[in-house]
Amino acid sequence: MKKTLLLAAALMAAAGALGAQAKAVATGPGATLIKNATVLTVTKGTLQNTDVLIQNGKIAQVGQNIAAPAGATVIDATGKFLMPGIIDPHTHLMSDAVNEGSLSVTSMVRIEDVLNPTAVNIYRELAGGVTTVTILHGSANTIGGQNATVKLKYGADAADMLFPGAPPTLKFALGENVTRKNQNQIIIPGQPITRRYPVSRMGQEEVLRDAFTRARDYKATIDEYKARVAKGEKNLVPPRRDLELEPLVEVLEGKRLARVHGYRADEMLMMLNLADDFGFKVKALEHGLEGYKIASEIAKHGADVTSFADSWSYKIEAYDAIPYNAAILMRHGVVTTLNSDSDERGRRLNIDAAKLMRYGGLTEDEALATITINGAKTLGVQDKVGSIEVGKDADLSLWNNHPLSVYANVDKTFVDGKVFFDRQLDIAQRDQKAKERAELEKADANQAPSNRRAVQPVLPQEER
Amino acid sequence: MVASLRRGLAVTAVSALAIAPLAAQLASPRSIPATYAITNVRLVPVSSPSIEKGTIVVRDGLISALGANITIPGDARVIDGSGLTVYPGLIDAYGSLGVPNAPAQGAGGGGRGGGGGGGGPSATPARSAPNSNYPAGLQPEMSVVELLKADDDAFSGPTSAGITTALSGSGSGIFQGQSAVINLAGADANALVVKAGVAQNIGFSPLRNGGFPSSLMGVFAALRQQLLDAQHYRDVKTAYDRNPRGMKRPEFDPSLEALQPVLARTQPVILYASTQREIERALDLAKEFSLRPIIAGGGEAYLVAARLKAENVPVLLTLNFPRRTAAPSADADPDPIRVLKERVEAPRGAGRLAQAGVKFAFQSGGLSTWTDFTGNVQRAVENGLSSDAALKALTMQSAEILGVGDRLGSLEAGKIANLTITRGDLLDRGRVTQLFIDGKPVAVRAQAASATGGAATATGTWTVTVTMDGTDLATTLSLRQEGTRLLGSLQGSLGSVEIQNGTIGTDGELRFTATVTLKQGTDEATFIGTLDGNAVRGRIAMVGHAPGTFSGTRPQRAGGPPNGSATGSATGSATGNAPGAAAGTVPRTPPGAR
Repeated sequence: MKKTLLLAAALMAAAGALGAQAKAVATGPGATLIKNATVLTVTKGTLQNTDVLIQNGKIAQVGQNIAAPAGATVIDATGKFLMPGIIDPHTHLMSDAVNEGSLSVTSMVRIEDVLNPTAVNIYRELAGGVTTVTILHGSANTIGGQNATVKLKYGADAADMLFPGAPPTLKFALGENVTRKNQNQIIIPGQPITRRYPVSRMGQEEVLRDAFTRARDYKATIDEYKARVAKGEKNLVPPRRDLELEPLVEVLEGKRLARVHGYRADEMLMMLNLADDFGFKVKALEHGLEGYKIASEIAKHGADVTSFADSWSYKIEAYDAIPYNAAILMRHGVVTTLNSDSDERGRRLNIDAAKLMRYGGLTEDEALATITINGAKTLGVQDKVGSIEVGKDADLSLWNNHPLSVYANVDKTFVDGKVFFDRQLDIAQRDQKAKERAELEKADANQAPSNRRAVQPVLPQEER
Repeated sequence: MVASLRRGLAVTAVSALAIAPLAAQLASPRSIPATYAITNVRLVPVSSPSIEKGTIVVRDGLISALGANITIPGDARVIDGSGLTVYPGLIDAYGSLGVPNAPAQGAGGGGRGGGGGGGGPSATPARSAPNSNYPAGLQPEMSVVELLKADDDAFSGPTSAGITTALSGSGSGIFQGQSAVINLAGADANALVVKAGVAQNIGFSPLRNGGFPSSLMGVFAALRQQLLDAQHYRDVKTAYDRNPRGMKRPEFDPSLEALQPVLARTQPVILYASTQREIERALDLAKEFSLRPIIAGGGEAYLVAARLKAENVPVLLTLNFPRRTAAPSADADPDPIRVLKERVEAPRGAGRLAQAGVKFAFQSGGLSTWTDFTGNVQRAVENGLSSDAALKALTMQSAEILGVGDRLGSLEAGKIANLTITRGDLLDRGRVTQLFIDGKPVAVRAQAASATGGAATATGTWTVTVTMDGTDLATTLSLRQEGTRLLGSLQGSLGSVEIQNGTIGTDGELRFTATVTLKQGTDEATFIGTLDGNAVRGRIAMVGHAPGTFSGTRPQRAGGPPNGSATGSATGSATGNAPGAAAGTVPRTPPGAR
């Protein structure tokens, strides 16, 4: 056991060392032909001995005996498994901040402002077959911040990683994490002790109703101004822009998707009812561990659930979690996905999906859907990614074994048709990276102070 | 041997006094003469070719003449400068020189001021504009000139490095207020000021008092909202001024008022940003509001050189080059190649900026020793920067970027007489012997020149035990302190991550956040603690977890033998007598107790 862990750590370190190389990896010709793979399309069944042609970043053709266009890279995938790139709908990857926990309503903050495109964990997720994620604000407060949906194009600028056309989303949080913020409050010497409202689930509902009521009023002000301008009134000063309320107005208008962290059935029901009252839809309940208790109600509202496969009892509100949650929700017609919420678990979501076959008896396609097409639906990008279909983005992962097997490793991960992870290349470059490291370690700036060559400081002296 | 400058002063003092003009006598109660002529000296005007042997005359605080054949005025004290070189006074283009580090005595009630013991009150100075609608840290109306103190001791470090002039800002907060160009000698605080309101300094560190914004993304939201509010304020006021009758008077807001020159681009903003992504974010913000940006810090500016050049953004480039500060811990993951590379590349940054045509000036960047100031300029020169460009980035170019090129930055008649005098070439291990500031001689003191002035320093590798949810987790905390900024990484059981938003007070109170990975997932943890010598301890807040604690030690400092190096790493000593385990015996405070 210990040995395995050490090996895993060594592999992780190696992956880290290679991260810097990804930019070079992620260049490729226009066309790639993957030949003779077992293709797990997820939406259209499993196709044996099938070729997939990638052109201009899209899946151009799926079929047998496809001729390689001139200049195309041909990959022999005999004995290998091709599946859509994994979608992780809930992570905190590559973010330089997670929570703005100072206030109960911080809808003005944006994860997009703090993305770190150089985070090595991006590369590690790619090594686990993940191609698209939503990076969510944390769950410290009732209304968190604006999330970011990105494609893991490691090596690109943050702006270029944003998923084009993905609907904007907003994070909400219910339950313990919000109320326990007060317990977690760090007392800073010399500062007044501030207990942030609310400290109960009742209070959370009130914060939500208050915020959406304010947003409705704000919308009325904006609409009135626009109407007066339309009527031709001159010299009007536009109303003050309110960055806190703007995203809430977008939620009310259905232009921004509500992603709601919730564990317990009662708090999730409250949120669904509240959304009905204000006339918007909850797009997804995040984690939703007690979702199985209210599966029909969730289905009726039309919310998705992003669940864990088998995590429970790590806090009071997680005591009623069961590994059958995702399967029960799916049987009730709820679009259900798995999420990692973790840079570590994000690398092995395929194994979490496999657990749903063991607990709950999902079929292979259903299990795979929880980490691919269902995630795409939750993110609102199901027309572009999530399955292997002609015309979709060529976000793919190629495995050396069936991805629902514990023996499966990713060979290659493609985003928009380009290779962003290549196991063989990674292995091949380890020596070279080790040499580069050794060279760098020799440099003076990398010596510990005790080893450093003595530099004679030039000190001013008194004249003699 | 050549007569020393100082001795020269003493010899001619009496004669000069006799004919000094009345005005100068009034202005100089201690009867310091107002006119000097330094002869037989090498002159490096920067704005024009060097003069191998010439004279420079300083009168009433200004350079009155310089050249190879200058008539020495009769009232001048003559100084034989044989063997010496005169440069324009060096400029430290960013920092907080002249702003006392200690909490402001008069500010706020501060009822706990007299508290005893080591762990006394550690609130950051309550520098708040009295009538602001915004909290401290978001008050652009603050001006550093209100905070300055003429403190010769505080200036002795930088002056020993040849610095006569600095851009000084308050150094704390997000909207840090208006910075000023100051001289590092003067009778009182106001006499230091060369130009006030030079720029609006902006930092991206969250507020430390628990209020909004407490995170980096909150900082951006706060900046954005306040700039939008300033635009709205402008529009409402314009409408009101056009026709006040029948319109409610817009309420005066000093903070939004102070942002008007920023929005109008008459006042630049100095944005503190070091890494590539920090610089890109700062430039994006400036673009969004059409501000006039200057980047300060700029450690990785060379990676953004093309954009900086295209958008014509100058850089105040740090001379605090990163380097390994402690022997790597046997338990820690090795430094990523990116970090190793960054240390090697840092001295090459200036040369690359110059090559790309980006305008830049040097700044000390919180160096721990002032002798590194010109020392690191020399390293930049060894790594691809021309000497001429280096000298400009210490003088003329700095003055131009800071909007004082008409009065400082070169040796020209009529400019302020700030002179840096060396024996030998400044950029080839020359030694600063004497300064003139505002035409007055300033002695250079020999000293160890510690830039942080004896404040607690967190730099080093710490072996830390983190206790979360009743479990002890070993981790290595590598820290690098730059002024009050704390950079570094966590490596070990919590994952390998860079720390964020790190700050440290002069009293050793430190605070940072890190995105850590525990059993349940990845989330952000806030560390608040106190550093005391080679020990650190504090508390951790993490959403979804009971409060945790951390404590640790810095085993390898001052050349001591690394702990555990004799036993090697394979013996599993981490669970034995490793420093982390010893630190675990610190009594844990029950979470509910506060």
